[in-house]
Amino acid sequence: MLAVFKRDFKAYFTSAIGYIYLGAYIFVLNLIFYLNNALGASASLAGVFSFMLLVMMFITPILTMRVFSEDFKQKTDQLLFTSPVKLSGIVVGKYLSSLAVFVCLLLLTLLWPFAISFFGENNIAEVVGNYAGILCIGSAYIAMGVFISSLTENQVVAAVGSLGLFVALYLLEVLPLVFFQSTLPAFVMRALYFFSIFGRYSSITRGVLALDDIVYFLSISAVFLFLTVRGLEKRRWA
Amino acid sequence: MIEVTGLTKSYGKSRGIDNISFSIPEGQIVGFLGPNGAGKTTTMNIITGYLSAGAGDVKIAGIDVLENPLGAKRHIGYLPEQPPLYPGMTVEEYLDFAYELKGVKSPDQQEHIGQICDMTGLSDVYRRVIGHLSKGYKQRVGLAQALIGDPDVLILDEPTVGLDPRQIVEIRGVIKEMGKSRTIILSTHILPEVSAVCERVLVISAGVIVADDKPENLAGSVGGERTLVVRVAGPKDGVQSLLRGQDGVQSAQPLGEMESGSHDFLVESKPNLDIRKPLFAALAKAGYPILMLRPQDASLEDIFLKLTEEELPGSKPSSPGSPKAKRGEKKEDGPDGISGDGKGDD
Repeated sequence: MLAVFKRDFKAYFTSAIGYIYLGAYIFVLNLIFYLNNALGASASLAGVFSFMLLVMMFITPILTMRVFSEDFKQKTDQLLFTSPVKLSGIVVGKYLSSLAVFVCLLLLTLLWPFAISFFGENNIAEVVGNYAGILCIGSAYIAMGVFISSLTENQVVAAVGSLGLFVALYLLEVLPLVFFQSTLPAFVMRALYFFSIFGRYSSITRGVLALDDIVYFLSISAVFLFLTVRGLEKRRWA
Repeated sequence: MIEVTGLTKSYGKSRGIDNISFSIPEGQIVGFLGPNGAGKTTTMNIITGYLSAGAGDVKIAGIDVLENPLGAKRHIGYLPEQPPLYPGMTVEEYLDFAYELKGVKSPDQQEHIGQICDMTGLSDVYRRVIGHLSKGYKQRVGLAQALIGDPDVLILDEPTVGLDPRQIVEIRGVIKEMGKSRTIILSTHILPEVSAVCERVLVISAGVIVADDKPENLAGSVGGERTLVVRVAGPKDGVQSLLRGQDGVQSAQPLGEMESGSHDFLVESKPNLDIRKPLFAALAKAGYPILMLRPQDASLEDIFLKLTEEELPGSKPSSPGSPKAKRGEKKEDGPDGISGDGKGDD
């Protein structure tokens, strides 16, 4: 598992993918930070973080598209799957390598609270809550992306597929709230809210870090990693 | 060392491999021979645990691949058809990765990898990026990867494809050298390779094993010593009629003029008869000197064609050798014919 993690993490930065991912993210987010906090003279990071989720939807596929697809294409999966390593170890190793790149990104954004501390006062609870929250939700998105990537050997298909999944999940919770709130029965709305990524996330950006939200995002990660392992196992039997 | 029983794997309706069984004792080099799509790669992928079999068992050193996959995989080094290389890594990084991935426990990692690089001739390109290497070197990196951890079973899928003649000889040398202490299965459709390297040949066609023997026995079984190629200096018609009139000669076909002033003939004798001496005497007496006389051994190619052709139901041996014609026949022949095409090998 450690070997896979190390190799994949390094591979992000020996190819252009890692830099494109970090560069695109940082560019967009810093622009938002500038507009929201510098021009808007605000000390609250909530605005940036709620925007981050939207950006994440579009940029996470860049991070996860190559995870398994590249190995299938290069046939390096034959090396991985015929080595004395458990399938779950390979999946978790790859997942953690993508997550580690995401953590690098978060470390880079620590510049924001640092900059704010010069001109105002950070709301510590809000900052910590936001970082913990975005880490959880990033982990969930990455797990979904890893799963999609394990379904195809084409990186473009993997990227578009993940994007499709993320957008579909987004629409699934936004459309009913906006259009059908009065027509849908209450229990459907409650169920939708329970599974809603954005709904849960918006409470996190406000600084409310509830245990059930964290458990929810971590379970999504676990479920998709499990599906990935099962899917890869099924490939062998195909 | 390797015990395969009743291995079956189907892709959709077509049978990939059908009830394959064989057992390979320790220290044997076995050639796995068959046309494209016969199921060589499928069989190898199942042995190494990359694919699962529909039915049947594989035991490596007594360990069932299905029951204890990690234990069995520890015994195997696998070089797939396309070497599983990361083009962005250097040879050094890649071999280190393979070493860690396989969880090898050797006292000195650098020494272990160094030895393998010496053996496969990689020391010169050790620090170069794999993506920039030539195909021959890539193949060697793949082979080096298979050797990491000193596995006692090596499965090599077409190890010499894409190499130049010198490299082929070198790699064969490496394989032979390694075969002294290891059990090796190598697949190929290059026949001389089998006679050069292997102690035993398994011929597979349309997913079934059609022959299992030593290379030299296989040659004998088809019986090649009955045909001779003779080059005689003299007029074509005169020599031909003399050859045909000779006792024990069944037929004499002119092959054409290979050397000016002489003609080549393919002479087939009656069974169990050595006609070389009387042939020599007769031609000498007639004043037609023999420039060349050689038995036409059934090469492995012939055997291979014969064995694999027999397995294709409906393809008549007398039909012209054009592959197109054969393929057409096969398709019309119904489901069995199609399974012979064994797709899904890739």
